[in-house]
Amino acid sequence: MKHNSSAGFSRLLVIWGITLVLVAVCLAATLFLIKRSKQSVVPTAPPPLPTAANPSDTPPPPQEVNLFLLDPTTLTLVPVKTERRLHTTEPTKRLNQVVTALIQETPPNFRNTIPRGTLLNETYIDTQQTAYLDFSSHLSEGHIGGTTAELLTITAILKTVFDAFPDDIKQVQILIDGEEVKTLAGHLNLSQPLHLFQ
Amino acid sequence: MMTMTTNSVVYRKKPQKARTNRYSVRVTVSALFLGILAWSVALNGIAQEISVHFIDVDGKTIAEVPAQRQEEQVYLPVDAVKQVFDPDMTDQYNYPRKRLTLKTKGKQIRLQINNLVVSIDPGGQTHTLPTPPIIIAQEPMLPITFFTQVLPDFDNLEAIYNPSLQKVQLRPKNTWTPMVTGNSVDWAIIIDPGHGGADDRGCESNTGLLEKDIVLTLAKQLQQISKQQGMQIYLTRQTDAKKTHLERIQVAKRNQAQLFLSLHCNASFSPHEKGIKIYLNNPKGELRFPSNVQSGPAGQRLKILAQANFLKQSRDFAHTMETELNFLTEIPVKIIELPLVALSDAYMPAVVLELGYLSNVEDLEKLSNAEYITSVAQAIARAFQRYISSINPSVPQTVEQ
Repeated sequence: MKHNSSAGFSRLLVIWGITLVLVAVCLAATLFLIKRSKQSVVPTAPPPLPTAANPSDTPPPPQEVNLFLLDPTTLTLVPVKTERRLHTTEPTKRLNQVVTALIQETPPNFRNTIPRGTLLNETYIDTQQTAYLDFSSHLSEGHIGGTTAELLTITAILKTVFDAFPDDIKQVQILIDGEEVKTLAGHLNLSQPLHLFQ
Repeated sequence: MMTMTTNSVVYRKKPQKARTNRYSVRVTVSALFLGILAWSVALNGIAQEISVHFIDVDGKTIAEVPAQRQEEQVYLPVDAVKQVFDPDMTDQYNYPRKRLTLKTKGKQIRLQINNLVVSIDPGGQTHTLPTPPIIIAQEPMLPITFFTQVLPDFDNLEAIYNPSLQKVQLRPKNTWTPMVTGNSVDWAIIIDPGHGGADDRGCESNTGLLEKDIVLTLAKQLQQISKQQGMQIYLTRQTDAKKTHLERIQVAKRNQAQLFLSLHCNASFSPHEKGIKIYLNNPKGELRFPSNVQSGPAGQRLKILAQANFLKQSRDFAHTMETELNFLTEIPVKIIELPLVALSDAYMPAVVLELGYLSNVEDLEKLSNAEYITSVAQAIARAFQRYISSINPSVPQTVEQ
């Protein structure tokens, strides 16, 4: 009985030994293959370091932008701060980013006054410091109507633009699908560029 | 043992009888109390304390009088006559006969509790009230109709009562006479029910109520009321039809109109926003066109300059309408000046009236109510009269006695 148990123990040792050797071999083979696969990739040139001559490749630093949204309790448009990486040199692109942010932003406890689904087609700033904002037709077709709602929509756009571009933009002309429009929802006259009475 | 049992039985029965008696007494007392309560309620109803505001023609408060509302009727104390009409009024109440006598402005007015007839001496006139005077808390109380139908007559006033806001407006008795002389029309007013047609529905409530339908209903009522008063009223649309801004203005030009009123319903992104708003077309308002309008197209320049001449008259009419409409609403009416497309071609005094917010539950409830629409039509008709009288001194507003 005693003899049998010592023979069984030595057999167990042998099995464990073989298993350990096999695991070590597999591990070594895997490491070898990984190392080899890395070496087989064709080396490419390192990405160019950002320089002053090529600023568009560097992500611009985030900037604070005030988006004017409706506070449903006070019934007024209030500036809501948000951070956006704006183009630093091109005002037209920055304008596009700011107005697009206004369209998309709907933080809790505030109401966006731009009809959901509206797109900003194009922006342009002329030499008279008039900003042209060309929206998709949904701005008009998806509007809830009423003079107050129409005034809120236009004022939110104007306040956001004038706050972000105090020196570059003096008035805003609203366009729909590239065309001048008389009105958005049948009340306000949008046939000319607009500014706000301060 | 038996005796003890008997005794114990007797002993137990006595308290049961006493308890039953006490219970009966309580029930009887409660029934009596409830009976008295029911009887007094049946006699007097349950009065609720409120206050009634008396205002003048410009909306200024004359007096705020404590009152009682009972079974949908409003009653005021006798002292209210002193507060509102005549501080020198004297009164005498005969308790056994339940007769009330008031002496004011050389007249003796006799009323009787629970009697509809009012006798006025000298002259022996009688007036039948829709509701009789009653006793509340042992005091004689006068129905509000006594203050709106009988007393104003002595001062050549008329009273308008708004039961939802408990407001009574006292104003000089209207002596409006038709402005039409022969076949020539002195005054023509254009009512423009905004929007219309399948494509231009205007605002829509969550219950499916449409702006274009509300304003058309109001416009037709306003036309009817004003025509009865001798004004020439033209609508820019009589049906649910689409009309351009130019087509609407052409109706005004064709009829040589002197006043243009565009009717709309409002909406906001906040469900809390409510109330009536009046808008004036001013390219230099809250939202404005550029100051260098000289550089714009000639037609545009002409429009802006020509309409500036009518801004003062538009403001005057807006303020007149504000006064009349304030009587209907607890929130003061606001006047806002903006560049408006609906009035951009109107070469006459013109305003846009936004009747209320279809996005607000309370305003929606009002605008769904036919009685409210009628009261708005009446208020606008009164504003027409006052405005025309104010700019045409030959038309007297009151009759001198």
